[in-house]
Amino acid sequence: MEQPQPGCRGAEALLHLSSGSSISVAYHPLFGPHDDLVLFELDEKLLPDFLHERVVLRGQPDEDAVLCTQSKTYAIKFVGTSNSVLLAPPKELDPYCNPQESTNKNDDLKLIASVIKVVPGSMELVEVAPRLDKLRLLLLEKPYRLGEEEGEGNSENYEEHRTGLYNWNDLINNIQASDDELRSGLLALSAVEINGYWRIVDESYMSMILNMLLNNSVLNDWSLNALNEDQVVSMLESDGFAGVLARHCLHVYCQKKDDGMDSCVWKLDERRVCVHFAREILKRGKMKLENFMDEWRRKIPDGMQPTFDLVEGEVLTERIGVETWVYAFSVSSLPSTPAERFSILFRERSKWEWKDLQPYIRDLCVPGLSSEGLLLKYTRRTQPTPDAEPIFSAR
Amino acid sequence: MQIRVKCKCGEGSCHEWAIVELQGVVEVQSPFQDRLQNLEIGTLCRPSTQEAYTFTIGYHELTGSKVPLKKPLLVLKKIIHPDASVDQSSESNPKAKAEMELQVVGIIRHRILFKTRPKALISKPSI
Repeated sequence: MEQPQPGCRGAEALLHLSSGSSISVAYHPLFGPHDDLVLFELDEKLLPDFLHERVVLRGQPDEDAVLCTQSKTYAIKFVGTSNSVLLAPPKELDPYCNPQESTNKNDDLKLIASVIKVVPGSMELVEVAPRLDKLRLLLLEKPYRLGEEEGEGNSENYEEHRTGLYNWNDLINNIQASDDELRSGLLALSAVEINGYWRIVDESYMSMILNMLLNNSVLNDWSLNALNEDQVVSMLESDGFAGVLARHCLHVYCQKKDDGMDSCVWKLDERRVCVHFAREILKRGKMKLENFMDEWRRKIPDGMQPTFDLVEGEVLTERIGVETWVYAFSVSSLPSTPAERFSILFRERSKWEWKDLQPYIRDLCVPGLSSEGLLLKYTRRTQPTPDAEPIFSAR
Repeated sequence: MQIRVKCKCGEGSCHEWAIVELQGVVEVQSPFQDRLQNLEIGTLCRPSTQEAYTFTIGYHELTGSKVPLKKPLLVLKKIIHPDASVDQSSESNPKAKAEMELQVVGIIRHRILFKTRPKALISKPSI
């Protein structure tokens, strides 16, 4: 029944029909639903990424797939049409098109273009924020803790040992984000690659390493503004910490100074160190502002000035009677989708002043929506008098 | 899981596919409903040098034109590779199913669009 069509010319003939001529449009010998053929509508600027194989679809079977380029993530949306869209392949891809036919002397032979399927619609791409919340959950399944190095040998069962550990391949198979976005997500979580797996190092362990570093700086009279990487690492190693953790400690609490010298020099980052100690103190729960400030000043290294704006997005204040209390409330523990973020914020407190709210929403990114747009969409703004501070509440 | 998008088109030379788009649905007469293959739908004609076309389906004639698409459409084909990684290295997930990839097989930059209602042709007198 399915025979090669004489005179078949494919898509080219349709697109380059010479004036005054005609072509027969027919169902292809293999006409059918062909669900394996899909159309993607793209911006011209995305085309090179497709042609050079730099795009990939990511997602678990229960998630809506996203398309990732090297640096961006796109949601995939099916847009249907009620028109009849007849799709004709080029003759080069058509096994039923016989090139010899073109030399046929029979000039009366009717030219044919074949329709392989009727297209129900196409896929559109919409740039979206990467879905990184799951990354934190995965990495928190098994944080790297003190004593893990010693315990490693005991685990005979590979699968059991592997549970809760994720290497780069596991992450790209599980996280709906582009490679670049995933890397910055790992950086934001202060994750580190240890023995091939991406890990979050347990906070109290990090605290131990930092304290060791600070103590040794005092003992050895090192400047906190110019820590020599090699010295720091070999000192921490001699105290029993793995080299990878020593270097991680520098990455988390310091900033690299570009001095152009052979060995790397690091400067302790005031904000990160102050936040670290604030978090550690507030782990015990709510406390009076004065007590908190006293303890905070005592804990941080000499020369650093703890001011309250350093812990924006980490600590909230609350007035109880005449007293001000503080408690930990970290932006990094909040979901990154705006709806969920605002719902949690308004559960935490029903009214927010702008200066308090801003640190908790400034990291939200929704392509195509400005921060004013976000506020309009998710909050109600009230301003009792024109010169009063605006108050934001839930919509 | 990941689905890679592959492309064998080479540098900027994807085969161009064509779309003929019309409103509504092409109804096939009932005797042909189950054997559409090779059946002629109609005749596309370009009467002049302009990008204007007629499409004659049965006793109906549509008029339309060739229009460039605002954004190109890529034609992708789902290709499923049978699971070949069962006994391979530890990297592969033992639960992994057959691997799928999408292959770019063409691009569409124009469509021949008929957006008007069909005009009835008067049937030829039978001889």
